[in-house]
Amino acid sequence: MRKVVRLQSNAMIDHSDYQEVLSPNRYYDNTFDKEAIKLLPGEYFVTKRDMVLVTVLGSCVAACIRDRVTGIGGMNHFMLPNDKNDSPVAAAARYGTYAMEMMINQMLKAGATRSNLEAKLFGGGNVLRGFTVSNVGERNADFALQYLENEKIQVVAESLLDIYPRKIYFFPSSGKVMMKKLHYPNNDTIIEREAEYSTRLKHADIQGDVELF
Amino acid sequence: MKSEIAELVKGVGGLVTLPDVFIRINQLVEDPNSSATDIAKVVGQDPSFTVRLLRVANSSFYGFSSTIDTVSKAVTVIGTSQIRSLALATSVASSFDGLPNTLVSMEHFWRHSLYCALVARNLAKRARRCDPDAVFTAALLHDIGELVIFNRMPQQAKDALLLVLDSADELPVYQAEQQIMGFDHAEVGGELARQWKLPPMLEECVEFHHDVRDGLRFQREVALVHIANILALMAEIHSLDPSDVSPIDPRAWAIVGLNADDVIEETVSEVQEEIAEAEKLFLGK
Repeated sequence: MRKVVRLQSNAMIDHSDYQEVLSPNRYYDNTFDKEAIKLLPGEYFVTKRDMVLVTVLGSCVAACIRDRVTGIGGMNHFMLPNDKNDSPVAAAARYGTYAMEMMINQMLKAGATRSNLEAKLFGGGNVLRGFTVSNVGERNADFALQYLENEKIQVVAESLLDIYPRKIYFFPSSGKVMMKKLHYPNNDTIIEREAEYSTRLKHADIQGDVELF
Repeated sequence: MKSEIAELVKGVGGLVTLPDVFIRINQLVEDPNSSATDIAKVVGQDPSFTVRLLRVANSSFYGFSSTIDTVSKAVTVIGTSQIRSLALATSVASSFDGLPNTLVSMEHFWRHSLYCALVARNLAKRARRCDPDAVFTAALLHDIGELVIFNRMPQQAKDALLLVLDSADELPVYQAEQQIMGFDHAEVGGELARQWKLPPMLEECVEFHHDVRDGLRFQREVALVHIANILALMAEIHSLDPSDVSPIDPRAWAIVGLNADDVIEETVSEVQEEIAEAEKLFLGK
């Protein structure tokens, strides 16, 4: 399970097209004395081992999901694509569902049991530059909450919305999560990175109307 | 390295200039033969500054009991040296409009600077040994070196910000800049203050706000700005948890003679009350 799947711009188009790559963001965290993985937007990681998964979130959300019996856990980091098509909600939700199911399926393959899963949910901050009508963060948070409710996965902790970006440390084997609020000037760096990710998603969107599952 | 910084700052010379009214008031304040009347005359020749000055003088920022309706009254009541501070404070944000960047929005940049200025002024009043208006202006300017770096070295500046975001061990921005470019925004800001011939107190506060070292001429003011920079972040993210922000050098608290536990919560909450009006007064909102 030492793999991360980076969702390429065409990842949502065709399963055979996504690229599985060893995470380039692997390091040893001396503070926690554990192996660590840093996730970027569009990535997820599933592990059975005692390690720490780290990510920074602006308006994106991260679900930290864990089998409370075996300690198998995973974290993803995603946002819904910008909707502007005729049936936007469906297309956006389909990508969100994809981001969640990729990870959950990987966890089940690793030996997790669906009925043992519980989730902690973070992000969806309203950190967009300047004035904005649609709150992208809220949309992402709402989707994730709704998805988990539909899947009957209990949300045992959450820190969503508000105005600040977050840095999340998830320890799958214990289920513990540490959260740090981020501030100037990192908020703009995160906005920039999420904007690049959002553009990648938009490209995927344009290319077509494809059934994923 | 020093010459590299000097070149960098020279490169923005034509793009960002100090307002005339500040330069002229600055000369008068430094001149022992000048009077408050001379300063009022200079102020009166700049209608736009006159408006800003009277707005600030009559705002809750000062809280005078009587109405300040003339420039000469403002100069008398506020003080000549403080008028100089205000001339810089009310115009510095627009002075940097000629130095745009793609990394950080000017709105976020100046809001952080203004939070820092409000905290510094608040702490200066509590500590009682520094001029609150001078410290306010110093704090408002503390990160100006960033605007130079963001504009002139966008790629390295971006690399530094990403290094901070992705660092395992909470690397501060100035250290990331040192790793990537060999110098940091405080040094660049200090050099800009020198080339602009700003008062030495402002120069020291800008240059050493991350480095409260011994042997500074304006150690108290520097320490105030150092503390204010961190409390400003707390105010911005609505957090009183020190682990959410960079550490404050404990020497800074000793130098200003304040106890962290006594003042942080109150100061943070007071500046959160003040920020909206201050944005209108100083950032022209």
